[in-house]
Amino acid sequence: MSRRAVLATGAAGAGAAALAVLWKGADLTQILNRVRDLTHDYQGALSNPRVRAAHLLRRAGFGGTAQEVDRLAAMTTTDMAQSLLDYQQTSNATLDGQLPTLDLSSAKGPNPGAVQAWWLQRMVQTARPLEEKMTLFWHGLLTSGLDKAGPGQMYVQNELFRKMALANFDDLLKAVSKDPAMMIYLDTETNRKGKPNENYARELMELFTTGIGHYTEDDVRESARAFTGWTLQGGKQLRYTMQSAFIPRYFDSGQKTFMGKTGNFTGDDIVEILVPLRATAERLSTRLFSFFAYQNPEPEIVHHLADTFQQSHYNVGAVVREIFSMDAFYSAKAYRALVKSPAELTAQTLRATGADARTYLAAANAMAPMGQVLFYPPNVAGWPGGASWINSSTLLNRLNFANAAARRAPMSSPAQTGDQLTATLVDGNITNNTRDGLQAFAAAHPDDHAGLLFMTMATPEFQLN
Amino acid sequence: MFSRRDFMKQGLLPVFAGSAVPSIFANGVAAAAADSPQATPNGRILVLVQLAGGNDGLNTLIPFQDGAYHDARPTLRQDTGVLTLNNQLGLHPNLKGLKASWDAGQLAIVQGVGYPSPNLSHFASMSIWETASVQGGIGDGWLGRYLNYLDKVGESPNHALEGVSAGSLVPPELRSKTPVTALLSLSTFRLQPVNEHGTQVDVENPLMKFYGAFKTAGPAPFGALLDTTLQEALQASHALQATDATYQPKATYPAKSPIASSLKLVAETIVSGLGVRVAHVTLGGFDNHAREKPVHDKLLLDLDQALAAFMQDLAGHGYGDKVLVMTWSEFGRRVKENGSAGTDHGTAAPMFLLGAPVKGGLYGQQPSLADLDNGNLKFTTDFRSVYASVLQGYLNAPASELLGGNYEILPLLKA
Repeated sequence: MSRRAVLATGAAGAGAAALAVLWKGADLTQILNRVRDLTHDYQGALSNPRVRAAHLLRRAGFGGTAQEVDRLAAMTTTDMAQSLLDYQQTSNATLDGQLPTLDLSSAKGPNPGAVQAWWLQRMVQTARPLEEKMTLFWHGLLTSGLDKAGPGQMYVQNELFRKMALANFDDLLKAVSKDPAMMIYLDTETNRKGKPNENYARELMELFTTGIGHYTEDDVRESARAFTGWTLQGGKQLRYTMQSAFIPRYFDSGQKTFMGKTGNFTGDDIVEILVPLRATAERLSTRLFSFFAYQNPEPEIVHHLADTFQQSHYNVGAVVREIFSMDAFYSAKAYRALVKSPAELTAQTLRATGADARTYLAAANAMAPMGQVLFYPPNVAGWPGGASWINSSTLLNRLNFANAAARRAPMSSPAQTGDQLTATLVDGNITNNTRDGLQAFAAAHPDDHAGLLFMTMATPEFQLN
Repeated sequence: MFSRRDFMKQGLLPVFAGSAVPSIFANGVAAAAADSPQATPNGRILVLVQLAGGNDGLNTLIPFQDGAYHDARPTLRQDTGVLTLNNQLGLHPNLKGLKASWDAGQLAIVQGVGYPSPNLSHFASMSIWETASVQGGIGDGWLGRYLNYLDKVGESPNHALEGVSAGSLVPPELRSKTPVTALLSLSTFRLQPVNEHGTQVDVENPLMKFYGAFKTAGPAPFGALLDTTLQEALQASHALQATDATYQPKATYPAKSPIASSLKLVAETIVSGLGVRVAHVTLGGFDNHAREKPVHDKLLLDLDQALAAFMQDLAGHGYGDKVLVMTWSEFGRRVKENGSAGTDHGTAAPMFLLGAPVKGGLYGQQPSLADLDNGNLKFTTDFRSVYASVLQGYLNAPASELLGGNYEILPLLKA
């Protein structure tokens, strides 16, 4: 079967037509039960508490160690999710003590590779996995990149995403509108009274809030005027300016007509008009559910999450909490229904193999041929994700990275048996062919622990999340 | 006419689309090959150069005599050094290699290319160009459909290197029912050996078994996708390792230029005789809303120097008359520059077709700067007309079938 045919078959999921009928009449509980029952061959895998815990740790973070899986597996589903969601109560002192200090004082800011390695180390070693996972989510949605912004600015933006990871969406968008990296990336930094620049206004609507089809070209032109006034005061060193400022004389205080309303709107006013729109609620809910559970969520799920969003004053944490409590999140349909992004694959691999400071830099570089460079999205729409992570070139590079990482793994830790490796890395849930193959490999190469680790990470099961 | 709203729906509702595809493909290849003698593919190669972000057409093919151009571009206009093509139009001063090709009759320029009801979103407009459909969407790309057609008529079906792109992702134009390979380098396109005590361990066969079992046991669509992709990857890597061609470039490519590296990789793939029919490279960075001039000048310089080296390299290897290069961008820029010494999203722009197969010259009509639509140029040639001309006039493929409509054939190409 061809690649394209493969995608077409999968997209036309088995129970979809039956569900469509049910959506018209039934209540939400019944729908969600049906969603849970949607089948593929992993029906039942998530009935095992360890698999549920491992699934949650992969989705809400970057995979669990055997100890972490055991700890969560002993909890109820609600408590398990709670322990990840309420991360503010979890100290990250160990991580903070080990992270390298980034030099933000030098004129040109830190080295881009150092910032990439710093973030990758956070993903691997954090005690608050959901905080890092949401930071990755925002980086893929509210994009900026090193092709325009400076590495210090990207660091500042990354810390903003971390600080506001589960905040109210209107607050986050107001902050992002004034974030130096964003102001450089989408040119608000040059947007002045009488000289509007449409770049940020357009992408704010097309990509960050409503999506295409909910605004006019006039709305783009008018809202661009509202985002005037904020600028960076860095002279010729704009890429290295870490602070933005409001300059009243740059602001176009005239009347603007935006989405049927007229006023002397500021950028914050535009955000306050856009965020309450149903299209924004549905689009962000779809993005969050697709990031955490599976792609193309059923309309009823989107509807429910959009309600949650609107009833919680646009609180992202409330939506994420709701996702982790849904049966759909633990349904057979959700199990292994996402492709590990290179960031997820790399972080989980390093959690399995161990890493030192040099490893993070090398691993951050190794992500490029897998199709993802941190702080360098391909364009303002972020990484397309899903099936696009897998092509012949990226797959070979994923396997070669697993090989290199396994060979580099510190020998100090005791070698794990094949069963231990598959239990931790692929839920102990593999095809008989794979189990037999791994056993045959272990029998033929009894001393080659790195080889067995590689073979386990090279399984198709490990490529999915 | 489709509305934006319709477009959005199409883009977001891939779920029920295309479910009939697998059976058609599974049973169709051999039968179709037997009864489709209507065209003879000819081994010609098309190289697509995507100028991502929206290239400023007015500062690429410059109407230097038009007062309206000077008025609209107080800081961005090119006042000096324009490489004149006639008494109205000239190339940007940094396009010296393209000017040399023009002088040699090997550059065709189609003016004012666009489509009706232009979409000013990067992604919606890219999708329209990639699928050759004003609805865009996630269907096969227009060149993917050409690769499907090659399979159908029995041209090396399922050959993984027939369609290649330089980079780590497969571009949407090449989406197809046949394998397409994204390449970063030929030498690293292989599974690295797994060694124990200096002895190489076979992992390919065990992995093929793992992925083969997961094809049906794993979740759709990824179980099958992973299996298919591993097979394609190993097939392509074996093909690359089997070739004993040792590529020596016959031109000096500029250093530190991503577009030059990409084109060099494509040249290597072509001259190594791996059966490439369609190749894709991308030069990004054209979304110049602010401080456009230094960025755009550099992009055009990089493009020009990379293309010059590429054409020289191919000619040196005897491929000069077998390769056509075509550039495209999702849109041009607004006629009037903005207050940031940049330009916002616009509409129509020129396309370049380069190489020995073209009949050099200007085609279509330069859009008027006096008759604008909301500040944007009105297109004069539909991009699908250019696609049709290449499919029919160069690749000898059934253009109206592959484009789903009849478009004017421009005499851009030698017979």
